[in-house]
Amino acid sequence: MSTFRNLFLALLGLVMVCSADDGYIGSNACRTCHPDVWSTFYKNPHYKSIASAKEPPERTGCESCHGPGKAHVEARGGKATIIAFSELSPERFLDNCLRCHSQTLSRANIRRSEHTLNGMACGSCHSIHKSKAPRALLAAQRQVDLCYGCHASVRAQFSMPFKHRVNEGFMTCTDCHNPHGSFSPTWRMGARPRMVDQALGNGEPCLKCHSEKRGPFVFEHAAVRVDGCESCHFPHGSTNSRLLRRPVVFTLCLECHNGAGNFGRQANGVLSQSPSHNMANPVYHNCTACHVRIHGSNSDAFFRR
Amino acid sequence: MRYLILTAVAIMGAAAQQTVAPTPEPAGSARGETWAGYNVVDSVETGYRLALRGGNIPQYRSSVNYGNGIRLLSSYFSMNSKEGHGRFFDEIVITTQGLGNDPYESASLRIQKNRIYRYDMSWRLNDYFNPGLTTAGAGGQHFLNTQYRLQDHDLTLFPDKAFKFFVGYTGSVQTGPAFSSTQLFNNAAPITPLFSDLERVRHEYRVGNELRVFGIRVNWMRGWDNFKEDTQSTLSGAVPGIVTPSTVLTSFQRNEPYHGNSPWWRVALFTERKLIAINGRFTYTSGQRGFVLDETAIGPGRSGSIQNQQVITFGDGRRPVATGNLNVTFLPGSKLTITNSTSVYNVRTSGNSYYTQFNNATQGVELLYFNYLGIRTISNDTDVNYQAVPWAGVFAGYQYSNRRIASDESITAFSVPSAVTAEQTNELNTGRAGLRLRPLKPLSILVSAEVGRANQPFTPIAERNYHALNGRVQYRTKSLTLAAGAESNYNFNSVVLSSFSSQSRKYFANGTWTPRSWLGFDAMYSRSHLYTIGGIAYFANSSLVQGESSLYFSNINSVVIGTRFSIRNHADLYFGYTRVEDTGDGRSTTTGAGIGSALPVFQAAQTFPMSFESPLARVSIPITKKLRFNAGYQYYGYREKFYAAQNFRANTGYSSVSWSF
Repeated sequence: MSTFRNLFLALLGLVMVCSADDGYIGSNACRTCHPDVWSTFYKNPHYKSIASAKEPPERTGCESCHGPGKAHVEARGGKATIIAFSELSPERFLDNCLRCHSQTLSRANIRRSEHTLNGMACGSCHSIHKSKAPRALLAAQRQVDLCYGCHASVRAQFSMPFKHRVNEGFMTCTDCHNPHGSFSPTWRMGARPRMVDQALGNGEPCLKCHSEKRGPFVFEHAAVRVDGCESCHFPHGSTNSRLLRRPVVFTLCLECHNGAGNFGRQANGVLSQSPSHNMANPVYHNCTACHVRIHGSNSDAFFRR
Repeated sequence: MRYLILTAVAIMGAAAQQTVAPTPEPAGSARGETWAGYNVVDSVETGYRLALRGGNIPQYRSSVNYGNGIRLLSSYFSMNSKEGHGRFFDEIVITTQGLGNDPYESASLRIQKNRIYRYDMSWRLNDYFNPGLTTAGAGGQHFLNTQYRLQDHDLTLFPDKAFKFFVGYTGSVQTGPAFSSTQLFNNAAPITPLFSDLERVRHEYRVGNELRVFGIRVNWMRGWDNFKEDTQSTLSGAVPGIVTPSTVLTSFQRNEPYHGNSPWWRVALFTERKLIAINGRFTYTSGQRGFVLDETAIGPGRSGSIQNQQVITFGDGRRPVATGNLNVTFLPGSKLTITNSTSVYNVRTSGNSYYTQFNNATQGVELLYFNYLGIRTISNDTDVNYQAVPWAGVFAGYQYSNRRIASDESITAFSVPSAVTAEQTNELNTGRAGLRLRPLKPLSILVSAEVGRANQPFTPIAERNYHALNGRVQYRTKSLTLAAGAESNYNFNSVVLSSFSSQSRKYFANGTWTPRSWLGFDAMYSRSHLYTIGGIAYFANSSLVQGESSLYFSNINSVVIGTRFSIRNHADLYFGYTRVEDTGDGRSTTTGAGIGSALPVFQAAQTFPMSFESPLARVSIPITKKLRFNAGYQYYGYREKFYAAQNFRANTGYSSVSWSF
């Protein structure tokens, strides 16, 4: 049986090699030895190049990623005779995929992304031939499982009692993040983070859903616009309701509203409490009971209506 | 690289299951069946979800919210053309989750024909429940029981060609009851409850095109975003104030329509050559909103005299936003990548608010506010990424950011204008460096550090002098992944009157082990330590208190463990346990150690120990090749150490059948 197989391969190789142009022999040669890959390859987005039959050989089917197959067939296999992604460094892996996939806006920042700088390449998250995800050839059925594999502390945050509903399937990580890197954030100092996607007007991604907080408002809570939602909220999850950074509202507010100099709009201190307030009275412990429009108001400079 | 791919598969084998349903094991063959030239895979799971709840139900609804009833727990359907030449489509993928009445429902559809079109749709619903403020005096304000419905539609024509078109729509609707508060007649906090029926609608339409010109890809998109809020607030009958019951609303009506548009442009260019890759992007969004607030309130005020107050406010807000980005990547060799990124962000928020208040229909007070807040940020960063040898690489970067904030707060009262204008600039310099090691093929070690210095942060809690350290070790083989890491963020921001210091440290360890295809283990431990101290100033009994500190201690331990195993195709079982516990600073009562502010209310707010745990178990039994029976149980227990009124517990479960057509 093995003799017959070897003879068949030799003949196949001879036919392919004779018809090869620059070492490209077409994907039909690959299916003989890689039936497990080929049997489901029609579901793979990369199959489009085969189906169209209009792409040049270097952009068609298996050889569009793995390079010319002539030497590989002649050698009857082997990882040294073809581009084997399992042997590539992360940099070369990335370069290979970006030959086609760099032409997409969502991947414009992949070279400077945290993932790239930390040695991750496309194959860390994508399984080109064995994906079980319905989209994007992800290496896990659920996107969140893929991310949790490395981001354990984030997984802990989404296990907290108050959290965005990622584990429940309502949201995914890519609703807010771009795993391929993002443009510089427009909040804080434009430095970090580098993996957060941006909403309309390039604001924080929170505004994609919480559109009522986008404004513009006549009276902006300036800290929201300047430093972003994270000034007051933990975006993933928190032990505090409403994802607040502190369990009690007034402690959160007073950390900034303490009259300390050099901060705020006029750089002469963030407005401190009014003398009419009395912290000894529980009435004044829930700042947002009166300052109900704390994210911004059109009618009141102190966000009361 | 092999181990990265294999590890991904291993992760899949021990997928984190943190909600008991839907069942991840589908019915039917994963390979599907062939029909009319298409491969068809489908699985539908429907069943009954059960929830027995005790304790603080609003708190349960806020953090879990699963209820009772029949659900279409999940479904999956795909059709793929086997030749890639389907008549009308080559691929259809439909997924749903929680349809029926789960609090978190979703559906997605992808349909495409190679080279002709691709259409993606997603629809989501979130039953959002917020119990409101429940502490003393708040009376549950900010209670929300609303539904968010979101949908996205994207159609791409000629998706695989150099010249393609995009058309899209995104919409969201939030409706439902809300309970808030209003403050009327005077400023001495006579808070009165206020009921509203929320109605917020957002529509975004977009159209775009991508083409290639001289080897450069040009992508442009034009969008129109429309937002409308038509929430009405009303109270009928006499409603006394929460704080000062002598203030009574006998009649109240508020209308506050808030409408506007944010049309936008985005233009991007990219090209990648052998030695250089360049991309640039420019966006402009012109946001504007118009608003009216018309409010009438009648009733005895704090002194007992009848008040008849009407407030009318109208005006508009504008926010044009422009951004520009330019990324240049140099690829001088196979080992070296140098990336320089420049970004410019400019936003100008301004608005007029005409405020008129009539008291007892005798006197009117008219004020005109104008506000302006402009932010301009320019940042430039350079990263160098060098893979010195296959087992070691380094990266380093430097970033400079310059942010200018201009402000104008003006008010015209009785035709007399006054204004406060200001401008400030903050400069941030940051440096970062990291080391990647791979001494063995399955072992990777990452260490990185960042140091930053800012000279004019906007708030006392913003970053001024900070440093961050990050370390991670991972060992990955085909069946085993072990990882551990530590992160620390220290920020110190001091001023004359007070200081803010924040220390955050996180440690984690996690592992997945899939020794057999039918057996998998998954475990994670994380510890998050947060300690902050901030200077505060406040009034107590009409006296200004300064020089005190507000402290917050949080020590959160999180554990997630799970195991999945199959019994010879007779049953798939999963057991899991999740626990989050904030141990606080170790105190046994709310009384603190006397550090920070001496006021008892501040002492009691320094730490909030609590625990939240959730064990779960699930079994899935194949009845036939196309039918499965599933059942599961999950417990949720929430407990605060000092405030038992917030605690809840819930026994939830489900039973279902999954089948394939």
